[in-house]
Amino acid sequence: MATVTAPLPGARVAEGRRLRVSEYLRWSVDHKVIGVQYMVTALVFFIIGGALAMLIRWELLTPTLDVMADGTAYNQLFSIHGTVMIFLWIIPMMAGFGNYLLPLMLGAKDMAFPWLNAFAFWMIPPAGILMILGWFVGQAEAGWTSYPPLSTMFSGDGQTLWAMSLHILGLSSILGAINFIVTIKNMRPQGMGYFQMPLFVWAILATSIIIVMATPFLAGALTLLILDRVAGTAFFNPVQGGDVLLWQNVFWFYSHPAVYIMVLPGFGILSELLSVHARKPIFGYRAIALSSLAIALVGFLVWAHHMFTSLTPELRIPFMITSMIIAVPTGIKVFSWLGTIWGGKIRFTSAMLFGLGFLSMFVIGGITGVMLAAVPFNIHVHDTYFVVSHLHFVLFGGSVFAIYGGLYHWWPKITGRMLDERLGKLHFWVTYVSFFFTFFPMHLAGMLGMPRRVAVYAPEFQTINIIISIASFVLGISTFILFYNMALSFARGRVAGPNPWRALTLEWATSSPPPSHNFEGDPIPYKNPYGYGTESAWAYLEGLESKFGPSAPTGIKRLPPAPPRPQPAPSGD
Amino acid sequence: MNLSKLSSGRGSSKATSPLSLIWIAVAGLAIIVGGILISTVTPLIFPTQGSAEAQQIDALFQFMLAIGGMIFLLVQGVLLYSVLRFRARPGDRADGPPIQGNTTLEFVWTIIPAIIVVIITIYAYQVWVSIQSIKPNEQLVEAVGLRFAWIFNYTVPEEELPPDLDREALPANVLASLNNNGFMTFSSPQLHTWVGQPVHVRMRTEDVNHAFWIPGMRVKQDLLAGRTTDIRFTPVEPGVYRIVCAELCGSGHGNMAGEVSANGDLIGAWLIVHQDEEAFLREFLIPERDAVLFPPADPALRGRQVINNYACAGCHVLDDLGWVGITGPSLNGIASRTQRLAAGGYSTMEEYIYRSIRYPGEYLVPGYGNIMPAFNPEPGQPNYMPEEDLEAIVAYLLTQE
Repeated sequence: MATVTAPLPGARVAEGRRLRVSEYLRWSVDHKVIGVQYMVTALVFFIIGGALAMLIRWELLTPTLDVMADGTAYNQLFSIHGTVMIFLWIIPMMAGFGNYLLPLMLGAKDMAFPWLNAFAFWMIPPAGILMILGWFVGQAEAGWTSYPPLSTMFSGDGQTLWAMSLHILGLSSILGAINFIVTIKNMRPQGMGYFQMPLFVWAILATSIIIVMATPFLAGALTLLILDRVAGTAFFNPVQGGDVLLWQNVFWFYSHPAVYIMVLPGFGILSELLSVHARKPIFGYRAIALSSLAIALVGFLVWAHHMFTSLTPELRIPFMITSMIIAVPTGIKVFSWLGTIWGGKIRFTSAMLFGLGFLSMFVIGGITGVMLAAVPFNIHVHDTYFVVSHLHFVLFGGSVFAIYGGLYHWWPKITGRMLDERLGKLHFWVTYVSFFFTFFPMHLAGMLGMPRRVAVYAPEFQTINIIISIASFVLGISTFILFYNMALSFARGRVAGPNPWRALTLEWATSSPPPSHNFEGDPIPYKNPYGYGTESAWAYLEGLESKFGPSAPTGIKRLPPAPPRPQPAPSGD
Repeated sequence: MNLSKLSSGRGSSKATSPLSLIWIAVAGLAIIVGGILISTVTPLIFPTQGSAEAQQIDALFQFMLAIGGMIFLLVQGVLLYSVLRFRARPGDRADGPPIQGNTTLEFVWTIIPAIIVVIITIYAYQVWVSIQSIKPNEQLVEAVGLRFAWIFNYTVPEEELPPDLDREALPANVLASLNNNGFMTFSSPQLHTWVGQPVHVRMRTEDVNHAFWIPGMRVKQDLLAGRTTDIRFTPVEPGVYRIVCAELCGSGHGNMAGEVSANGDLIGAWLIVHQDEEAFLREFLIPERDAVLFPPADPALRGRQVINNYACAGCHVLDDLGWVGITGPSLNGIASRTQRLAAGGYSTMEEYIYRSIRYPGEYLVPGYGNIMPAFNPEPGQPNYMPEEDLEAIVAYLLTQE
């Protein structure tokens, strides 16, 4: 097994170093440590949320209640499954990527507020434990949406713990977002204006703006819920002058932007993956950057489309209009990504496969999203498995696929090792196929009459549910292919070198893993983070190699560089 | 569209060659035809089109599916083509062409989706206005949702009572209703109407939020605590249609949907659409009305009839009536459960059953929670059960040994 190659005479080489587990178990203000802490914690909760999903699917193999003791126990399963997946898996995982990558992409030594960074992370494990502890006092059973009066009057004490846990997680999220915004604003290097930032940074910026503006509303709703449950207030109790729709409106005012919190960083990751692994600039950089901000803004105007069957009827059409509008910036992104890979030199790395898988599956979620925006159709499929299908297409087929792609892409930078590409391809194909057969049939179940959040259903739905459940078990198992790959990489993965993908963004202009201060001196970003295909980009990459050592992982035969090609006239933006 | 900017730089044809235009036209045609073909599965993926609303909603969906299918084929097609045509050959470490964008193309793929969503919005708006509108001569039924059953309350005004009715012989609560309100009411776990009759259901909940959904009619409306909500539909096909609760309401949420018993009987919440008004009156309204006006003399028989006016089937098993509710204790053999007398501090089975309905929290069968609603003696109180009905129900349940 080769280690770092000998430096060229006269060149300074930043040595990669092995990671030590103990570093990650204690308080550190190094953003790289914190980023890994976020990601590992999130992955643990991914397993927990996934295990709950497996129980749900096991119960749904039959139309009657066979696995869980009673309906309440079943309701607790999906309530915590949803809450964990949203607040303890996707949101912290995306924050982990942001934390690790942002200073590196900006050529900075750390985030703007390193202590705050660590504080925000360390709120997460206790909050997660608090939520799980709910099982000892009567776990929350009102769904992740927690509608009163069910959540105020009938749910166990775990519902209060649930609300407290979310309060803490929301605060953590806000503190992280503040850090991201200030870092992006203040710590870009010379030569990196806003429109020279990598799109992942744009994505984190848009996400952080949403977090800072929306999460306080969740905090408000949770506070009212806790008070109703423990202090005898009646915000949501109509008998004493309260209103159940108050919860629905305030909750969804946060929770719709929350879905963009979950997916925008995934869009950012996708831009990085597609450009690097197709060796081609992002098509329509400015459109993608600005559409992220457009989605962030319009995303605050659509919330009541989650309430089309409870909202006062006169207000339903305005929210249909805003919900249809938001399809346009998302469509711009999808077409821009297609334009990126078209005409490129696509390398089927595991990272790229998950990027392509994202494009393939997310578009289905986008199409069903437009369908759901149409009020007359929505009133048939609201609160059915059609919605469950849509949300999993965008959150799993979108966000999780992006996370997987990001892991394969940045694992070499974080750990200094490569992941095994054959296992990665196996992981991709098993995930892609089993994902499709788990979630696509749910559209049919919902349209044909199966509501969501039920343990018992009409017998005619059993065949569809068996197909879904079996596919879901395969999907659950597929996760462990990745974990096995990760373990293998630590044990005997190939050394990655500083820039195994020959990428132009600044995180690759240092060793893998980076030294504690990230860069030697002040790095100068290449003028275009997606400038592939030009002579100057090639020269820049060759320069990096001579400074930091070979880009390609050892073992790949190096070919001489391609001869200079005549460049086409500058085109487009 | 200037294709040279998208070429792979391999010296391909200049600009808009006739051949590439033809390919684009063919691909475009395939996408349009493919989307339309995909949309034709619409009838297969919906339940029976039971209402006028369903016809409109299904048509709207088919339109959206056609467009969605086209977008699906376009995106997957471009993806598939790209991964085949633009894969890096082994050993090729060169980059792709440095194309940053194409303003025309980006404008086109912004404008066309915008136009599409505007069209869908206008179409959906028109369907919505039609569905929402108040129809003439609506049949008004009151619906009550509770954990975990549905009750439908029908009103029979004085004019629709049989002629020559001996009012003195009527049960006391029926007479009181006629004298005070000018109508009598009765309840049923099922919603009955007939073909072509616009229905207006006015709904309230006894406890948490529920949602009233009839997949065959394609309409759904939440029941919100503290509010009355409304739903409208017009059936166009006779038959039976399952009613489903579509808002999480607790452990029995799934049980609130109508079920079919082992021997094919309908249990719980169903919409029954009779062939015409005459059939509706003959098969449902008149028998139900007369069962209330002229109850059987035997209290146990009367109880067996009257118990169906209440939501007991939602939670209890009772083989005699085909109930399969699992949330509460079984009522089979209830009259023989004398061991509960000591546990609950009751002196007779009659007292036990009576108080279990009026004060259900007083004694809980081990293993069950305190979730049964209390049935109260005064009109206007929640779950109103007049004393005469309760006595009849107790008499009936005492026959279940």
